[in-house]
Amino acid sequence: MTSLLLPLAVPLVGAAIILWFRNPDIATRLALAFGVLEFIALGNVVWRVHRLGSIAAGRYLRADGLTSFFLVNLAFVSLLAIVYATGYMRHPGEGRFGSQRWFYAMLFLFIFTMAGVCLSSNLGLLWIMMEATTLASALLVGFYNTEGAVEAGWKYLIVCTVGIAFALFGTIVLYLAAVKAGLNPQTALDWAVLMEAGPRLQMDPNLLKLALVFVMVGYGTKIGFVPMHSWLPDAHAEAPSPISALLSGVLLNCAMYAVMRYDAIVSRAAGTAFSHSLLLLFGSLSMVVAGLLILVQRDLKRLLAYSSIEHMGIISIGVGLGGPLGLYGALLHSFNHSMAKSLLFFSAGNVRQSFGTSRMDRIGGMSRSLPHTSAALVVGSLAIVGLPPFSLFVSEFAIVSEAFAQSRYVIATLFLVMLSVVFGGFAYHLLRLLYGEAKAAPNRTSLILSESITLGITAACLLLFGARIPHVFDTLVHEAMAALR
Amino acid sequence: MTMAIDVFQALLLILAAPLVRGIVARIKAGIQGRRGASIWRPYADVLKMFRKEDLAPPSASAVFRFAPRLLFAVAVAVAAFVPVLQPSALLGSLGDFIVMVYLMALGRFFLALGGMDGGSAFGGMGASREALVSTLAEAPFLLSMAALSISAHSPRIADIVGWTLGQDFFDISAVHILAFASMGMVALAESGRMPVDNPTTHLELTMIHEAMVLEYSGPSLALIEWASAIKLNVMLALLIALFGPWGMATHLAPVALGSAFGVYLLKMLLLMTALAVIESSVAKLRMYLVPDFLGVATATSVLAIIFTVLSRR
Amino acid sequence: MGIVGIAAGKVLSSSSVFLFLTVLLLVAARRISTSVLLFSLQSAAITAQVAVTAYYEQSVEAYAIAALVLSIKVIGIPYVFFRLIDGLKTPRDVKASTTPAQSVFIAVAMIFISYAAVRSYAQDVSVPGDTLAASVSLILTGAFLMVSRKKALMQMIGLLVMENGIFLAALATTFGMPLVIEIGIFFDVVMGVLLMGIFTFRIRDTFEHLDVSKLRRLRG
Repeated sequence: MTSLLLPLAVPLVGAAIILWFRNPDIATRLALAFGVLEFIALGNVVWRVHRLGSIAAGRYLRADGLTSFFLVNLAFVSLLAIVYATGYMRHPGEGRFGSQRWFYAMLFLFIFTMAGVCLSSNLGLLWIMMEATTLASALLVGFYNTEGAVEAGWKYLIVCTVGIAFALFGTIVLYLAAVKAGLNPQTALDWAVLMEAGPRLQMDPNLLKLALVFVMVGYGTKIGFVPMHSWLPDAHAEAPSPISALLSGVLLNCAMYAVMRYDAIVSRAAGTAFSHSLLLLFGSLSMVVAGLLILVQRDLKRLLAYSSIEHMGIISIGVGLGGPLGLYGALLHSFNHSMAKSLLFFSAGNVRQSFGTSRMDRIGGMSRSLPHTSAALVVGSLAIVGLPPFSLFVSEFAIVSEAFAQSRYVIATLFLVMLSVVFGGFAYHLLRLLYGEAKAAPNRTSLILSESITLGITAACLLLFGARIPHVFDTLVHEAMAALR
Repeated sequence: MTMAIDVFQALLLILAAPLVRGIVARIKAGIQGRRGASIWRPYADVLKMFRKEDLAPPSASAVFRFAPRLLFAVAVAVAAFVPVLQPSALLGSLGDFIVMVYLMALGRFFLALGGMDGGSAFGGMGASREALVSTLAEAPFLLSMAALSISAHSPRIADIVGWTLGQDFFDISAVHILAFASMGMVALAESGRMPVDNPTTHLELTMIHEAMVLEYSGPSLALIEWASAIKLNVMLALLIALFGPWGMATHLAPVALGSAFGVYLLKMLLLMTALAVIESSVAKLRMYLVPDFLGVATATSVLAIIFTVLSRR
Repeated sequence: MGIVGIAAGKVLSSSSVFLFLTVLLLVAARRISTSVLLFSLQSAAITAQVAVTAYYEQSVEAYAIAALVLSIKVIGIPYVFFRLIDGLKTPRDVKASTTPAQSVFIAVAMIFISYAAVRSYAQDVSVPGDTLAASVSLILTGAFLMVSRKKALMQMIGLLVMENGIFLAALATTFGMPLVIEIGIFFDVVMGVLLMGIFTFRIRDTFEHLDVSKLRRLRG
């Protein structure tokens, strides 16, 4: 149906049209327009899936409950990022691809690829789109063409392509297992077909386990699991802030979506023990390493990047625990985290624009010089460390409850300890940044419209979801969970 | 009858050796755009040296005189190991490839001793370099021939050649390709050609073989030069026999032998051209890179042996 | 079986030998252009294998994939590389962190490991063990090249060798995936190479060299 094609066509057309005009103002306005259009297109898909259950278009596109949940994530963060970018990207970068129209064109290509990941019904197409996200965002990461940006972009490109090559191997092994189990080779890569054929795939548990390991390592590189995370702090820190928000808030989640699909397929066939223990392993490792490294960070955006790794670890633990609360908490957390991370990255963007640097030790006393941004930072930080009344508290509480319910005391203890460590780290860094004597003076102190809108919306979302999860959203999460069963 | 052919093979390798050197030098000259000396020049050189006086440094001992004779005797003995026209050789049933390799080592050992015995600085330097090269070249030599003998189930060279004759040329065997690559590098090292050693240089930086024989003159020098030519001829013939023996006479008809001789000449021409091309296109390796070169040869021969096991499964 | 059939059979049985040879030569190579040529030859060997598979399976799709491999990996990508080498005007050496001899020994160990790793799966999947071992050793070699070579261009070549290995594994076990997916994968590879090419120019312009081991500004 065309409703599935629309979220893919809109960003492509948008990118093409934006490249056509040379005037940066027109490019900005077009970007806003297409951003809103994309939001509507994605919302349309979510609405239809809610009404009709799973919908499909041709052999390669499908959307079910899980898809629509992640599309909601994509829709919100991409629109917010575009709105923020209109204010942020007022000065062009350097190099051949440094003008605003290239920025917005590549941004829409990036959105196209992420929508493609979520909407693919064929695991091969999902792989192609996942690799395409790396390619589409590489030039965005290296946008500023400084030494740091080029290094970050190169590392991102190389490490993620290698990782995704491993995921290709895993996909091939899964395809092999499916074909051997008797599935039609033309449809053996379709995840709906694979989910249904669960018990038949049981004949080859070794092949399935091999496939899962490679897929976890491969797509886990994109998620930022430790030890494959080396590209993440660099890429998320050196990219322009709206792109960082998209990377942390959506791309990591899309990669997690892919892992969830594989987890569901393999669990149907060979039981949950193996895949869940892998998820728990990677999740715990990520939480521990990222949490500890947060303590020694000096750059604000790098700090936020490590926090993303930690939160992906939390989501992975949630999925790995399984159970009603675990999965619910994980899905909810992916949305809550993207909201909080967007708020934080937008505030960091303000800091960067005002002071020219995001090094926390070179700025001080920000609460006096940038009061609004500081307030946003405080709200975001309180949210990201999981304090009530913000929404991340709810999702993290759900995951910890599941851990205790399953008597997994080691994991629960680890979880709580690392959360405390991260709380301490954030408190320390933020206090030094906000209070104390000012080492640099900002070049402007008030917020522009784009900034206040985006900061306001994300903060409101965090508070709202923390108080009570809207019924609509709750339904969405439950439909997503149903799709995985 | 077989015996007669074996004697003929050995004589061919011994007497035609200077010709091989001459042809390679001529082809090299052609590649480099020169006219080059006549292909019979090495014969003239050897004959000339036999007529000259044999001088020895006053400090030299008996080893100095003895070394060239031993070297030549070893070269002749080794030449009797290699099948040329038929899968059998004069000494083929008396020893296997290990004997051959260590005969060559014996010759080199005494040459090095003779070089040191001459008392000059160059002699000692050449001897030490030669010791390094020959030590490192021994491993790939033995290993690649061992790989072949494992495949052929016999350590005798004549048997290996006979087994290879029975194989289908198009069934490309990983063992053979790897062993050939390794032996090729060893052949360059053993016969003292580029990129391991430059046979025409007399610069201190680049000499190995030439440094050891600097003090020799007259018949001793003639014997040494002839022996080194025989070694080159033997290495080339060994490569042909082990890796491309098809065309050898399997029965004793004159037609078969004649065609085997013709095919052998063709293959030798091919190898000599290849050698000339390699020598003209590659620069001599600095001494500290030679172990690396031979290390690659060793690793390749190790892989050849691994493959004798892996390709059986 | 006509001569084509016999030739096909010989190609199939000897292609893994050629692939192992390219593995050894790749790790011992000392110039970037040599490595690119070896990659091209490697892809040619894989093309031959795809073509033979197409001949045996009588499948038009497989012929199309063979044509794709030929045009993209044997001709297209090496051409892009040679243009890059010319345009970047960088020293031609490979800047390896291991000597050729050490690299060849490591390659030998990797080939051995590949055979060992494949042994348990080969009977499982009824596939010629040689081809599967060749593909695993290609993957390992690609990883080794990426780790031990300090030039940015060599990292790209290592990545491409890994993709070759994965493609060969897919070919050996499943005779290739559906054509559309294969085309998409090729498209991704080409775009990846182009993007990495753009980045090498940027690295050269910002850092004045192409030594990725010196890209260590961001740490911690």
